[in-house]
Formats: sequence, C-alpha cells, structure tokens
Amino acid sequence: MTVHLDRPAEVGPGQPGAVDAVRDDTGARAVSPVAGAVHRTGPAEVTFTVSADEPVFAGHYPNFPIFPGMCVLEIAHRGALLTAPEPGLALAAMKSARFTAPVFAGDRLTVAVDWKRDRERWTCVARARAGDRDVAVVRLDYRAGGDR
Amino acid sequence: MIDVADILPHRYPMLLVDRVLDIEPGRRVTAVKAITRNEPWYADAAAVSSSDGAAYPPALLVESWAQAAGLVFGIEQPNPDVLAGRVMLLGSLSDVEFHRPVLPGDVLEHRVRVARAVGETVIFEGECVVGGELVFTVSRMVVAYRPAGVLREAGGEQRT
Repeated sequence: MTVHLDRPAEVGPGQPGAVDAVRDDTGARAVSPVAGAVHRTGPAEVTFTVSADEPVFAGHYPNFPIFPGMCVLEIAHRGALLTAPEPGLALAAMKSARFTAPVFAGDRLTVAVDWKRDRERWTCVARARAGDRDVAVVRLDYRAGGDR
Repeated sequence: MIDVADILPHRYPMLLVDRVLDIEPGRRVTAVKAITRNEPWYADAAAVSSSDGAAYPPALLVESWAQAAGLVFGIEQPNPDVLAGRVMLLGSLSDVEFHRPVLPGDVLEHRVRVARAVGETVIFEGECVVGGELVFTVSRMVVAYRPAGVLREAGGEQRT
C-alpha cells in the first residue's frame, strides 16, 4: 500500500489537468529519472515542462545541460500510462524511437499519443514537440499483466 | 583498468556504466553496471515499497546500454568533455524488447556489437543480461558522430 501525501484530495486518476504519473495510484512509474510531473491535458495529449532542477542535468552534462533523449522517451512512456486504454499495462518493447532535436531546460514538451490494439499487445505512438520543434517520435508496445 | 569517466562525458547521476569487462575497439564491448537503491531515482521511499515498484526504469536501462556502446569507439577517441572533440548523438532505436524487470542488486552486463559503420554513422546491436538471464535485446541503435560544436550551436539557438 502506497500513501500519497502530496496528491490533492480532489484529483483522481484519469482526470485531465493535474495527474502526476510519478505518484499515480498504481505506483508503476514511481521510480523515474524524471522528477517533474507529467500532466494530462487532453484525451490523447500530455505535457511536461523541463525544469532546470531535474537531477539528470547535474551529469548530462556538467556545464552543458541537455535533457537526455531517454528522458524524452520516459516522458512518452509516462504519457502512455496516463492515457492507457486499460489499466495494468507493462512496457514490452520500444519498437522504434527517433530523436530529431535536442531538448533543454525551460522547454515545454507536448506529447500526442495514439493507441492501437495489435493482437496481444497495445501499441502507442507518441510524438513529442517542444514549441514548434519535433523532438522525438517513439512507438512503444505494452502487454497486459502488471506495471513496470 | 579502463576508467569510463576518461572516455564518456556523462557524470553522476547519469554515468550509467561502472566497468569494462572486455573490449575490441571499433567492434564490440562487454561492460557492467550495478543497480543500487542509492541512485537518486530511488530517493522517494514510497517508490520502493514493493518489489514491482522498485523496477529500474526501462529508459535508463537503454541509456546505460547506449553509454556502453559509446565506449566502443570512445576508447580510441575519448570524449570526456561534451563540448570538445566529437560527440556521439543518438539518432534512433529499433526493436528493443524487454524480457524481465531489473531490481536493485542486479548487475547488468551489456553486450554491444557494431553491426555496421558507414562514415560518421554507426549501427550497434546487442543485448543485456543479468546473471546469464536475458533482460532486453536491441536490434538496432543508430548514432552519428559529430563535432561538439553542433551541440553548442543548438544550445545557443534555444537560449536566444
């Protein structure tokens, strides 16, 4: 049983606007390289603002902070879980990921997700933009049966 | 003994390779990383209240594997300062399949091979095992080696 001390009482899972994937009810994304909150802003959209305080910046890289591509992928994954068509999905594969522009502190990422059923798996295509720049497109496969 | 910090520009908490076991420069590497609860991702005590909740983030597993790949050419052309020399930029990944979760106490063994190298573009493939058990496989990772100046230019554009 996980106790969430900092979740406002009126905000429940699945409600747009104020859901933090790190502290969602499943606890599935409780361990994450990204400290900030991912917010659901629509049925198929999440946003994330890259704070200069993100812990990864200390080492990626000293004196030249770049938000790691794998952290953009992490945001896409958390966005996928926030908009998932059913509960309890677990990441099975990164079918593809393409990184097209760097992301820096202060950028506001908008991730559009598109879910499709593919036999035993669910597939989520996530397109991440920072302002008018396309920064990444990832295709993630999920299977039912637990989170990780 | 090879010090990975002499080769890679990453530093704590994002230096995710501990030691090189075996390397053939330009061809392949085997490197390890120990997963520990002392990493900052585990700082929230609620996060480790169950074994499932303590699973290491898949994005960091792949980041760690990609850093191991950076050693294959990096050992002959080190890049300890990201703003000097040539930097390895991640372009794309294909078919990364996850087979089991990773928990604190596990030791990742990354096996990375060069599938193809054309000019400044290199395609890596390989897998990661824990205690001989397959954790994930990477069919293809494409990277490009570029002068460090491209990063400074990109950063400058964003900051103006």
